[in-house]
Amino acid sequence: MTRTAIYKMSLAAIFGLVSGIAGYQFYEHRHYQAPIIAGPGVTRVVKLHEYCPSLKGTPADTDVFFLEGAGDGGTVLLVANTHSNEPAARLTAEIFLENCTIQKGRLIVIPQFNNSGSRNTKPGDGYPLYFEIPTAWGKKKFRMGNRNASPLDSWPDPDVYIHYPDRSLLSYLDVRNTNRTWPGRPDGPLMERVCFAAMELIRNEQVDVAIDIHGAETMFPVTNCIVAPEKSSRIATMVQLMTQAMEGFTVNVYPSPQNFRGLSHREIGDYSNAMPFLLEAPIPFLDQPTGPKTEELLLTGRDPLLLSLARQGKLFVPYDEYGWPMKNRVGQHCSVILEIMNQLSQASPERAVVAENVPRYKDVLEHDVGYYYHNPATADPARVYPN
Amino acid sequence: MYLHIGVILLVMAAAYTAANRLKLSVELRMLSATLAGGITGAFFHTPPLMQLGRHMIEGSFTYLDVMLVFVTATIFIEIMATSGSVNFVVRGIVTTFFRVRMLALFLLMFVILIPGALTGAGSVSVLTVGAPCALALGYLGVSRGRSAAILFIIAGLSAAAPPVNIWAMIVSAGTAIPYVGFELPLGIPVLLLGTFTMLTLGWRQEQRLSLEQVLAEMPPVPEGMAWWRVALPFGVFFGLVVIGRVLPFTIPIMGLPLQFVLSAAVALAVSPGPINILTLSRDTVKKLTPLLATMAVVGAMQQVMTVTGVKGLISFAVISVPLIMLYALLVFIIPASEGVLTYGGAAIIGIPLVWFLDSRGLHATVVIAGLSLLWPLGDGLPPTALIGRLTMMVTEYRESYISFLKKTWIPWLAITLVGILMVIFSAKLAFLVEWSM
Amino acid sequence: MTVIMIVYYLITAFTAAMLIWNFIREKSDRQKMVLYLIVLTPLLLRILRIR
Repeated sequence: MTRTAIYKMSLAAIFGLVSGIAGYQFYEHRHYQAPIIAGPGVTRVVKLHEYCPSLKGTPADTDVFFLEGAGDGGTVLLVANTHSNEPAARLTAEIFLENCTIQKGRLIVIPQFNNSGSRNTKPGDGYPLYFEIPTAWGKKKFRMGNRNASPLDSWPDPDVYIHYPDRSLLSYLDVRNTNRTWPGRPDGPLMERVCFAAMELIRNEQVDVAIDIHGAETMFPVTNCIVAPEKSSRIATMVQLMTQAMEGFTVNVYPSPQNFRGLSHREIGDYSNAMPFLLEAPIPFLDQPTGPKTEELLLTGRDPLLLSLARQGKLFVPYDEYGWPMKNRVGQHCSVILEIMNQLSQASPERAVVAENVPRYKDVLEHDVGYYYHNPATADPARVYPN
Repeated sequence: MYLHIGVILLVMAAAYTAANRLKLSVELRMLSATLAGGITGAFFHTPPLMQLGRHMIEGSFTYLDVMLVFVTATIFIEIMATSGSVNFVVRGIVTTFFRVRMLALFLLMFVILIPGALTGAGSVSVLTVGAPCALALGYLGVSRGRSAAILFIIAGLSAAAPPVNIWAMIVSAGTAIPYVGFELPLGIPVLLLGTFTMLTLGWRQEQRLSLEQVLAEMPPVPEGMAWWRVALPFGVFFGLVVIGRVLPFTIPIMGLPLQFVLSAAVALAVSPGPINILTLSRDTVKKLTPLLATMAVVGAMQQVMTVTGVKGLISFAVISVPLIMLYALLVFIIPASEGVLTYGGAAIIGIPLVWFLDSRGLHATVVIAGLSLLWPLGDGLPPTALIGRLTMMVTEYRESYISFLKKTWIPWLAITLVGILMVIFSAKLAFLVEWSM
Repeated sequence: MTVIMIVYYLITAFTAAMLIWNFIREKSDRQKMVLYLIVLTPLLLRILRIR
């Protein structure tokens, strides 16, 4: 064997080994199941494809949890992990699923809206593959996903994504972004089908309020806020005032732009009777000028570079040595959601949705997020949904 | 934290320098720096050692689709070149417009602009139409050095030109700003600056040849070559692009690589002579490998720099500079980031910069357009000097690299001025974005 | 999986095949051999539907 051949084989072996290890890690991440426990309030679980049959059998299909109360009332929809790299959304949704009981009306929860995105990683951005939330019974492990669906499920991207039906031109990546593909269509690209299914759910189940939970960078102007179109703005303003007065945190209200299409806070309102709200909590991990992208940064939101920028007045949220821990973000989401329900109930008593056993901001700050999660190993297996 | 990130940055710089001493290629120098940075980072558990390989390979996926566009677009244009189509067009331009020299220069500018504008890669322009266009410029009396300078600048502008501008796409995607409304903010400066470049570098006729002499020297056009054989493959490509835009809800998403593959199939079918597609593809991929490897390594480097905090520190440094000083520094920072990181500069510096400038009341789309005129200049700067190196290669310019760069100074200055002014006065130029939509 | 998606896997596989062919043919340039493998790695992981 020549020296060149030996060199080539050695090279191939090195690349093969590194690719093999990395490939295994990618495969594990894509197929890892983080269990969701259906708490006492969950009355039934269906698949999203029931609202759009073309989703059936695709990696984009996902679980829809119904929490139905004894009394008549309205319907609230919670959508989480539209962007799976903003994980406070799913953590909030799971607190509702595991603990909430509904006295009046209905709550529908989709905890993993972009299922494909949650099984994708984000090239170039150096995310950890997983993060863990400490609980009384050990650590609960979650996948850290991507903003966009996996190219393994939706490929190729167009050169420019043309939004349906408005024809607005959007970035090519947005064809895989479930906060650009609303209201969707039943035979469009995969993420348009996901959004179409959710629109059908909203229309068929007569959803009154649809809440899409997100996170945004501290340097992004639209952060720490509720984004609401005209029809939702009154309730959004009341929620801002109430949470500020009663709970001691401030969220701003931003109007949903008329001409920026494809976003949930725009299209849900335009294509159904529901009032949409999009919640943004700060997530310093996603900011560009931060130190290493570690699990710790993701969970604590504490970073010296951002602190220095905050002192220069370059952030859009209050920021100090405390950072923006996950419990603050999740607690804020819980309170805002409960307050939206409260405001809906006051404005339209016949469409009231009354939820119990959900912690508010101060409770989550006191006990931390993991306190509200139950052990899947000891839960009734019939109530555990791998996701 | 500053200290440990600083150490990683220093180790990366040292590894790069050491690799340079060992005469490794630019791509391997960047790979060495990435690997060294990652290993040093692992000492601080950023990233954990067992995750380093995953991070590097994940990073190499960043531009996978762009790499496929490069491959398919270049195979398409190579088929056109091998079939004699490119020579046919250049000969047609020289013959028809020999006596109207400026018009001939103007048309050649378009020939160089088109491949880069379609693919977003100036290198595709250089690799495909660069050699015949440099020849044509020579026949029109432009010296070899100035021909190389023209090719480099116009190829850079072609990458910035709409419809595909990779820098703008990267920054838009990272800042959640729609990639729309760029046609006029990019198209107008590209055409004006391209014309300016042709006038300043091509005006002087340094040697005079007769048309007969020129035609005798030009590469022959194969028998049977005709305009329709040139027009049909391009027609198919543009047709597919246009039909996708006009009937987006009827035609399934094809993507640029498939559109190029179909156009290449048509080009192959209408070629007057036989073409061995396998050997052509093999040789094209071989020629493209340094560029493809650059894309893969830049992605890996970007990811390692992010996970170690180096990217964050650089972003932080840029954003911390006072605004007025920032405008002055952009002249150097933007091309330099391209010279070191190729497209990675757009992500590492461009994204936080655009957010910051947007929050100061500037118009983000025009800012991105202005910056993306500056990025291609960096393709002539070491260490990568991607387009600069390719240009020297295809134009067979044998003198020093510095002497080549010096010849570009007038358009370089003009492009810098236009780019910076677009950034500063972006709010006043917002109407260009509105008119594009 | 759609027909167009399958075509993309074929395009990727074709590119990978060209890289492997060049890697095998390369006799002297050791640096170029590394470059072929750098480009090949993401393509192979995509073809295998791992990432």
